[in-house]
Amino acid sequence: MAPWFELLEHTSDVGILARGANREEALIAASHALASILVDPAAFRPVEERYFRAPGSDEAAQIVNWLNEILFFFDTEGIVFVEFAIDSWTSHEITGRAKGERFDAERHELRTGVKAATYHQFENHAIPGGWELRIFVDV
Amino acid sequence: MHLEKIDDYRWLIPKSYKAGMRTDAMIYANERLLEAIRQDQSLEQAANVAMLPGIVGRALAMPDIHQGYGFPIGGVAAVDEHDGVVSPGGVGFDINCGVRLLSSTLTLKEVRPKLRELVHQLFRDIPSGTGQSSRVTLSDADLNRVLETGPRWAIEHGMGSEADLDHTEERGCIPGADPYAVSERAKQRGRAQLGTLGSGNHFLEVQYVEEIFDQKTAAQHNLDKDRIVVLIHTGSRGLGHQVCTDYVSQLDQAMRKYDLHVPDRQLACAPIRSPEGQRYLQAMAAAANFAWTNRQCIADAARGAFQRIFGEGVNLPAIYDVAHNIAKREVHMVDGKQKRVVVHRKGATRAFPNQAVFIPGSMGTASYFLTGQEGAMRETFGSACHGAGRVMSRSAAKKGVTAKEIQKELESRGIIVESLTREGLTEEKPEAYKDIESVVDVVHNAGLAARVARLRPIGVIKG
Repeated sequence: MAPWFELLEHTSDVGILARGANREEALIAASHALASILVDPAAFRPVEERYFRAPGSDEAAQIVNWLNEILFFFDTEGIVFVEFAIDSWTSHEITGRAKGERFDAERHELRTGVKAATYHQFENHAIPGGWELRIFVDV
Repeated sequence: MHLEKIDDYRWLIPKSYKAGMRTDAMIYANERLLEAIRQDQSLEQAANVAMLPGIVGRALAMPDIHQGYGFPIGGVAAVDEHDGVVSPGGVGFDINCGVRLLSSTLTLKEVRPKLRELVHQLFRDIPSGTGQSSRVTLSDADLNRVLETGPRWAIEHGMGSEADLDHTEERGCIPGADPYAVSERAKQRGRAQLGTLGSGNHFLEVQYVEEIFDQKTAAQHNLDKDRIVVLIHTGSRGLGHQVCTDYVSQLDQAMRKYDLHVPDRQLACAPIRSPEGQRYLQAMAAAANFAWTNRQCIADAARGAFQRIFGEGVNLPAIYDVAHNIAKREVHMVDGKQKRVVVHRKGATRAFPNQAVFIPGSMGTASYFLTGQEGAMRETFGSACHGAGRVMSRSAAKKGVTAKEIQKELESRGIIVESLTREGLTEEKPEAYKDIESVVDVVHNAGLAARVARLRPIGVIKG
């Protein structure tokens, strides 16, 4: 199953439905979805790299924390990521890397600010031929 | 879901509706609003709030209620300070999102000819903060002082006066705020965002007083017909978002320790008296103080912009500043006895008797100035609604309309809009929200807050 995502309807917030061949691919697809809520990612290049560390007592907490890393680097350094790699996913944490570029108002277009990834209506499970992840973000 | 009609403005979800509800949930709405409310999960969420351990009185939902995450937006819940819980999800990610209304020494006639210039100046002087830097630089010590003392820091640095504090809920400072309960990550997110508006539904509007319903109260605030006012709607920016994120995670862990169970993980909570609950309240207070300082800095920038266009003599005195995403320690009458409670207001405004309450409408529509009434003290722990309330998802709002079309349409109605993003216009178009008139009608007729004045926008800046 090729990585794929779509944005879901919600009265006040935005949902992400992401799929991949496995949970890692589904999370990477969700990461791309989150970037696409923030900006139009097409104009961003993978020129700067940051390390992600997403601890958590279970997969839901780890996934929420991973996506919150994207928001943290956007708020603090203005970086939008367009490439993601998961190095390790244990029962305690996900570690990985992301590459992207700092936002430049001359070349890039902002879309919507995102406050946080949430547990609201969270789903994370195997589907025939792959993995599916559903997560809502607060905008 | 079957709702029990109490009267034209009150509907009850009895606690027998589902297992685990500890009390009834009361919905304030008319039949038309209720129809819209039924379209999403917000009534189910109101029933979930009634399951919070230690909840006293009823779980409450204001007429602008819509689906949130965990708590509905427009939800109010008071919990016993001794044996209740505090839930960061009951406050929201944007801690102390709120509104500040400034009056002015100008009239509509004076502002109209220079409106475009004014809106442009405001847009230049007040960054949205998304992809733009703040004009306020903070050292570590400055940031800690902001978190501890609120807008007093800004006033000490020449941004405003003591009178601003007199017209701010809690004088802009919740006691007990502890900067050390706020994580380094939260501080990093917020450091460059003081004095910035943010995106989404946050805005600054130049408005005029279109109609006065209560002459006496309006006069007390020096408001008369056609008076120009400025409404600022924003919150604690990335700092508050991170505080909520951090403590949802910590309290999610603590729930096992205290054997607490909630129907939605986003309602993660801890006993108020527990170390985790206390720590959250200290961090939340710090984030709330940051938000009041944020609105203080924006008010100062707005005053500067007005003076650049209309001269040094122009003044924009504060009318009031009130939070609508917060948990507050308060004393209320419960079953005929005074009780110390923590009131969670998520998308709900404190509305104590005679206190100013501002209900912003959607972009381009009227906003309302009301005052809290005794009914709010009797029924809603001194709370009223906070806005029009969304009815349309953001993606639905964007369909079939461009930002340019919205801008043009608003301009044809005499409203100049500048927005950093196209989404700031399309996702926030007036049709995406409930009818503000109906929402205000319900709180007025239910005796929670009384109309003072209707304010009509003529200039809007957005992230």
